Amino acid sequence: MKTGLTAFVMIWWATVSVAHQLLVFAFVEDGTVIVETKFSTGKIPVSGDVRVLDAQNAVLMTLELQSDGTVQFPLDPALSAQGLLIEVATGEGHDNYWILTPDDIARATKETQ
Amino acid sequence: MSQGRLTRRTMIRLTLTGASLPLSGHAFAQDEGPVIAVANYPLAYFAERLVGDLAEVLFPVPPGTDPSFWRPSIADISAMQAAQVIALNGAGFSDWTTKVSLPRARIIDTSAGFADAYIATETITHSHGEAGTHSHTGTASYTWLDFGLAARQADALAARLIRAMPQSEATISTNLLALNADLAALDAAAKALRAPLAATASHPRYQYFGRAYGLEISAMEWDAQEEVSEDQWQALEQKISESGATLFIWEATPSDDARARIATLGLTDVVFPPLAQAPASGDFISEMTKSITMIAQSLDA
Repeated sequence: MKTGLTAFVMIWWATVSVAHQLLVFAFVEDGTVIVETKFSTGKIPVSGDVRVLDAQNAVLMTLELQSDGTVQFPLDPALSAQGLLIEVATGEGHDNYWILTPDDIARATKETQ
Repeated sequence: MSQGRLTRRTMIRLTLTGASLPLSGHAFAQDEGPVIAVANYPLAYFAERLVGDLAEVLFPVPPGTDPSFWRPSIADISAMQAAQVIALNGAGFSDWTTKVSLPRARIIDTSAGFADAYIATETITHSHGEAGTHSHTGTASYTWLDFGLAARQADALAARLIRAMPQSEATISTNLLALNADLAALDAAAKALRAPLAATASHPRYQYFGRAYGLEISAMEWDAQEEVSEDQWQALEQKISESGATLFIWEATPSDDARARIATLGLTDVVFPPLAQAPASGDFISEMTKSITMIAQSLDA
């Protein structure tokens, strides 16, 4: 499963090649939501804010992007029941988002059980 | 197929799907028949022509929102994930597809078969309207404005629908013939335009139309429904002097003042909605016919 996921992420990074755009990808693994970010140029953002919102666009938490362009947080089944919207804004003024639907979360949870 | 019909159907679908979250989307679709999710109005129109009442067409982008830069909600994507077929335009049309996970086996990129005919553009980042800042990426994406390419998109969609609904192959094949006849008529009408001709458009939408039908179309970066600034008018005058354009194409109806100002520059203007979003009245064929007729009349005037 991890190999497949890694391959998917690599293809996805390669496919989305808009000039100097912030790319955001999030997935669930072993009860943890993992957010990865990267610029389309290949550079890693060194700072930024990650907002996690629910299906009603209520902010559940705000986290700081780590120096490797990632951030992780534990999946709260109650708060994520209707999906999560992950918004990332970097210090360089770029922003983007990733949507995790209930199906995405349930599938990942099932696969890692 | 009017905007109202699409919107009603879409709203019902989204409301029910949202109410049934988190995981019953597939069950809902199975109970109620196949769902075909689409990324823009041309594909919604093609899908409805192809399947008639055999399936539901889900076009979740609200009226007034540009589907190219639509930001879906979680419920929108859940509904898309539950669809049996997800029809994308390709050519970089839907920015949101790079921000969500969609079941690859159910996706049909309707323009992939002619990817070698995509038109490359410069990347431009700008903002207008309520959509905020956005970029026109390096590929022109309004492929359906070349009606020959639109027919190929309809072919690709029909083939995928037949795979999903093999019991309906005869109906879909018959409907495809009728749809392609209408698209061929549009293609013939556009080819009859008195081209070559230089034109300028209010927004960079018409690359495929220009290439297919012999129009050299340069473009401004205007929102037709916003007031045009003096700087923008000066930029247009500069562009006209460089291109020799005699026709100005608005993608949406502008103010009377803006049309009057265009006339003072010696340009004939027409409103030619590219129909990424559903028209307020009429459908893809009737509205495209109207636009082509208006261009033809303006050239003959």
